[in-house]
Amino acid sequence: MLKVTDVGKAYGKFTALEDINLEVADGEFLAIMGPSGSGKSTLINILGLLDQSYTGEYLLEDKSYKDVNDNELSQIRGDQLGFVFQNFKLLTTYSVYENIEVPLIYSKKAQHNKHELVADVIKKVGLDGKEKNLPSELSGGQQQRVAIARAIVNRPKLIIADEPTGALDSKTSKEIMDIFTKLNQAGTTIIMVTHDSEVAEYAMRTVYIRDGHLYNDEKSVKNHD
Amino acid sequence: MTDKILIAFKSIGKNKNRNFLTMLGIIIGIASVLCILAIGDGFTHTMTKGMGNHDTRNKITIAYEPTTDVSTDNGFTDNDADILSKIPGVNRVKLASSSAEASAKASYKAKTTSIGLNKQPKHLKLVKGSYFTMDGSDNGIYISESLAHKLFKENAINRLITIDGSVFVVQGIYSIGSMEYRPDAYVAKKTFKELFSNQIFKDQAKLYLEAGSNKKQIGKTAVKKMKSLGEQKNTGKYSVSNPDAISKQFTRILNDVTYFIAFVAGISLLIAGIGVMNVMYITVSERRKEIGIRRAFGATSSDIRNQFLIESVVLCVIGGIIGIIFGYLLVSIINAFLPFKAVITGYAIILSLSVSTAVGLIFGFIPSNKAAQSELVGLLKEE
Repeated sequence: MLKVTDVGKAYGKFTALEDINLEVADGEFLAIMGPSGSGKSTLINILGLLDQSYTGEYLLEDKSYKDVNDNELSQIRGDQLGFVFQNFKLLTTYSVYENIEVPLIYSKKAQHNKHELVADVIKKVGLDGKEKNLPSELSGGQQQRVAIARAIVNRPKLIIADEPTGALDSKTSKEIMDIFTKLNQAGTTIIMVTHDSEVAEYAMRTVYIRDGHLYNDEKSVKNHD
Repeated sequence: MTDKILIAFKSIGKNKNRNFLTMLGIIIGIASVLCILAIGDGFTHTMTKGMGNHDTRNKITIAYEPTTDVSTDNGFTDNDADILSKIPGVNRVKLASSSAEASAKASYKAKTTSIGLNKQPKHLKLVKGSYFTMDGSDNGIYISESLAHKLFKENAINRLITIDGSVFVVQGIYSIGSMEYRPDAYVAKKTFKELFSNQIFKDQAKLYLEAGSNKKQIGKTAVKKMKSLGEQKNTGKYSVSNPDAISKQFTRILNDVTYFIAFVAGISLLIAGIGVMNVMYITVSERRKEIGIRRAFGATSSDIRNQFLIESVVLCVIGGIIGIIFGYLLVSIINAFLPFKAVITGYAIILSLSVSTAVGLIFGFIPSNKAAQSELVGLLKEE
């Protein structure tokens, strides 16, 4: 699915990421663990094609998007990637249905059966009957389901989740992780950032990030310390 | 596109008060633009309709103006009329007079001079002499001070004066004020009609043209012919008289007023535009999170620019529509005070809508561009 070679990123003198090497196979469920400030979000922004100013090489499906123009990049994000954020990032004045519809507005594909696509993902995340509600009328878990539905409505190959359970209690977290597991079993590749080891257990593989460096197991992180 | 217009309505509706205040400038600007156009159109309409009554379409008037005081017996003669009627495109020629004055020769002893003569007016103040009731048999005459001076030097009352062979008795002398126009002499109404009505000074020749003929060209030809062949070519000037001249001057004054109101409307729209720009800046910075979300889910930067641009245009067009309604009411009120009827044409409405769209586009552009060019990573950190 993707291959990261010697990727680095610095903000002025501060090195946020250094020598990152990572390979994710199709259909994999990868967890990236690390404390806050470790560079998780910076990495995920690069993987999600949100941040293009980095050194090294990043190939998504064997293609580098570093010199691709903004329009094409937007289209790739819309059609091939799906984002889930810690704070849900829903449009507060829009209904559940309208929130989920957002990626379809900008997509070049699937214009004619929008309604079916939205209805389908609403069922998948278990939000039947909530289409017309505003996000503020939903619980945190339900809001995150809306965010997941929005992320998968365009049937992306890769879902990038940034602390998807960060704002949820453990019971709700479990429900959300069950949805992710199902999506993964259906063939979607998932990269998830978390600092919760319980949540990371849902993933097939976990990598660790600390001070901008990536480690393949917890032991090497400790050696580094 | 419909999606985006709906989004625009939604976010405008979210801040009704703020956006209404922003629209106020546009409403006032557009209402004044509409008023100006309505008054202008109404005036033009009335003017052209009035012109139609005079039937100037197939008529040219050639005017004769004497250049010397010594003056002449007549402006246009029958010979002149004959020449004019032979110009191709001219159907017939009618000689007319701008005043009802006759020209004649007055003589006393050996002195002879050309004078303008008219029938006795209702009110005339005499400097010397007595008022007489003029009937047909009466041969009394009033003469002006200057004519009296010219012919008699002094004491003109009761002297005999010969005008074109008929003898009159000077009954009174009147003075001509510097601001008024009077002929050199007045005779009784009936006498005037009997003796002088065919000598009325013909200073106008009306040319009636065949349909579809070239007015301008024929007018030029007519003046040229008169200049070379006219009987009075040496004592006066011939020209094409323009009945539009007066209305033209009026139109010019109205145009000045229009420019002034247009200037006010322009400033109002400029201030309104700055208001729109301001509110769009606020909207853009309030909605950084939304921009980030849309960008993450596939919106290109031009999608974002268009979204805000559409919002700005929708805002201005709503303002424009309200402005048109206000303008309509205003025109109804103005009509109560105008001597003519101001009319709102479809063209004026289209122009008003175009102007508001333009304001939205021009003043929405910079904020929208700012939204479109925001750094993505920063946007998603917004809460």
